[in-house]
Amino acid sequence: MNARSQIFELTVEGRQADEAVASIFHTVLFHRSLGKFLYNNEGSYSVGTVGYTDVDCDFIDLTYVCCTSASLDQTIKKEISCFSEQLRGNEGTGIGQISLEFFSKETKSMQECTPWEVWTVRLELITLNNEGERQVCQEKVGELLTDKILYITEVMNRHDYLPKMPSQSELDLIFDTSYPEVQPYLFKVNYSISGPSAGTSVGSTMKKLIKETLAL
Amino acid sequence: MKLSNQEKKELDKFTKFLALKSTQIIVQSRLGEKLSTPCKPHTTGTDWFNLNIKDLPEVLAETKKVMNGEVLSSRLPFCVEISLRTAEGDHMVLESWCLSLLPERCDPTARIVHTVYNRMGILLKSLVSVTRVTPAYKLSRRQGPDSFVICYRIYMDEPQVHCLGEGYKQVHIGQICTPIGTLQLSVSYRTKMTISPTQAGRGDSMLVKSDHFNTNLGSKSKSDEKTSLYDTMKLGAFVDYKKMPMPDPQLILPSPPFAKLFAKTKSHRKPSEESLPDSVNVEDVKSSQEEVKEEEKNGNPAATSTTLESRLQSLTMTPTKEDFIMVELKAPFASTTAKSDLSRFLRECQAAPSLQTFIDLPPLGELQIDKQLESFESDLNEYDTVVQSLCQSPNNN
Repeated sequence: MNARSQIFELTVEGRQADEAVASIFHTVLFHRSLGKFLYNNEGSYSVGTVGYTDVDCDFIDLTYVCCTSASLDQTIKKEISCFSEQLRGNEGTGIGQISLEFFSKETKSMQECTPWEVWTVRLELITLNNEGERQVCQEKVGELLTDKILYITEVMNRHDYLPKMPSQSELDLIFDTSYPEVQPYLFKVNYSISGPSAGTSVGSTMKKLIKETLAL
Repeated sequence: MKLSNQEKKELDKFTKFLALKSTQIIVQSRLGEKLSTPCKPHTTGTDWFNLNIKDLPEVLAETKKVMNGEVLSSRLPFCVEISLRTAEGDHMVLESWCLSLLPERCDPTARIVHTVYNRMGILLKSLVSVTRVTPAYKLSRRQGPDSFVICYRIYMDEPQVHCLGEGYKQVHIGQICTPIGTLQLSVSYRTKMTISPTQAGRGDSMLVKSDHFNTNLGSKSKSDEKTSLYDTMKLGAFVDYKKMPMPDPQLILPSPPFAKLFAKTKSHRKPSEESLPDSVNVEDVKSSQEEVKEEEKNGNPAATSTTLESRLQSLTMTPTKEDFIMVELKAPFASTTAKSDLSRFLRECQAAPSLQTFIDLPPLGELQIDKQLESFESDLNEYDTVVQSLCQSPNNN
C-alpha cells in the first residue's frame, strides 16, 4: 500500500523555522492522537480524553493548538531543533526538508514497518535586512501557515485510511503507548538538508545558455 | 438499511452534543485568552468525543435556550455568530460558524456508534484548530472594555453571510456522512475589517461625510446628492431590505463620484425574516459580572468608518484601486496640501518622462549602418576571444 503524502513548501527566516514546522506537526499530531486506552480484565477498553493547549508563536503571527502533553511536545521539539540547527548552520544551503511519518508495524521487530501517511515540510531560509521586512515576513508566514492548517483539517476530515483498531496484544503495532497523556499513532521524524553542490549562479547559467544556443 | 429507533435516538443525541461542544469551542476561543485543558485517562460523563472541552455554564444555557429542547437534527442549520462591538456601541459581524445537514447525501452504512462518534471527535479537533487561525481570533486576543469587545449570538437559521461585507470567505471545516444525511461544519468570515458607509446605517452622518468626497458636485443641489448617495449606499447589517424605498431611477446620477467606495452589490444581501436575538458579550461570559443587552433593537447596529478605523489601526488592508484614487484626490484624513511628498511621488509615477535614449534617437534613415558594421568588424578579435573562452569553460553549468 502506498502512503498518503502531503508536502508543504515554505520560505522563512531562520528563526521562524522551528515554529513553522512545529505548528504543522502539532496540528497533525493533535488530529492523530487518541486518549489513552485503558483495558479492563475482560479485554474491553475505555478511551481517555485528549486535552489541548494554545501555543503563541514568537516569530510568526500565529497561534496553533497541540495536545496537552509535555513529553510529546519535548519529542517533537528535539527532532525539529536538530533539523533547524543543521539547516541554519554554515555548511548548509539553507534548504532542507523534515517529515512526520505515521507507520504501523507488522511484528514487534522494528524493521518491518509500513508507512501510511507522511507530512513533509520543505523549508528554504531567507535573510532579511531590517525590522520592516521582518514584520512583513512575520505576517506573511502566519498567513501561509493558516492556509496549511486549513488544508490539514480538510485532509483529516476526508476520513481516508487509518489502521484498524488493534487488540490489546497488538496495540504497540499501531500506537505509540510511551506517552503518559496521549496515544498517538506510531510516528517518526526524518529530515535531510540539501548540500551546497546544487547551487547555480546566474553567470554559469547564462554561459550555458549561450553555448547551447550557438551549439558550441 | 433502515435506522432503528434506538439508532436514530443515538444519532440525534450525538448531533446535539456536537452542536453544544462546537459552541463551547467557538465561544471559548473568542474570550481573548490562551486556553489549556489537561488530558484525562478516565473519561467522565461530560467528556464527549474524547476531547476535553470545558463547559461554560452561561454558554451552555444560551445554547440550550436556542435549541429549545427540540430534536436538533431536524432543525439544522445551527449557527454561532461572532461579532465585534466598540466602546462607542458600533457593531460589526466578524464570522458565522454553521452546522448544517445535507439530507440528500446520506450514508446508510455508516455505523453510528463508532464511525460517526469518532468522526465527530476529529471534526471537533479540526474546529479547535481552525478557530485559532481565522482573523477574528487575533482580534479577540486584543479586545478590552475600552476599545472593543467580542460578542456571540446563537441562532437556528441559514448563516447570515450578508452581514460579513464584501469579499467574505468560506471555509469547510469538515463533514460527516450519516444515515440521515451529511453533517457539515463551515465558517464564513469577514475579510474587510473596516466599517465603510456600506455597512453603516446612520443616514445623516453619511451624507455629511459624503460631501467631502463630492468635490466634482460642488454646485449640485443638495437633493440630488441625497438621491445619488441613497442609491449607492446599501443597507445596514440587520435591516429588512424589502422595506427600503427605491429612489426614482431618473433621479440617480449616471455615475456617482467614488461610487465604488460606497457600493456593494445587492446579491450579497439576503432578506432576513427572523428578528435577531441579542448577542452575548464574551467578556461577560468570562467574568459573569453583568448581563449585556444590546441597545440595537431600534434597527441597525450603526457605525461610522472613523470610529472603527481608529480602533483597528493595526489591521492591514489590501490596497485597492479605490484607495489609490483616494490618495490622489484628498482622502478624508490626509493633509490637504497638494505638495505633500506622497502625492508628488504618485504624480511623478503616473506621468513618468520617456527615456532619454529614445528622445535622442535619430530617424532610421540617418542611422549610419555602414559605420556600425565597420566597428563590429574591427572588434572581431574580441568576439572570437569570448567564444573561445566559452568553449574552454567546463560543461557543468
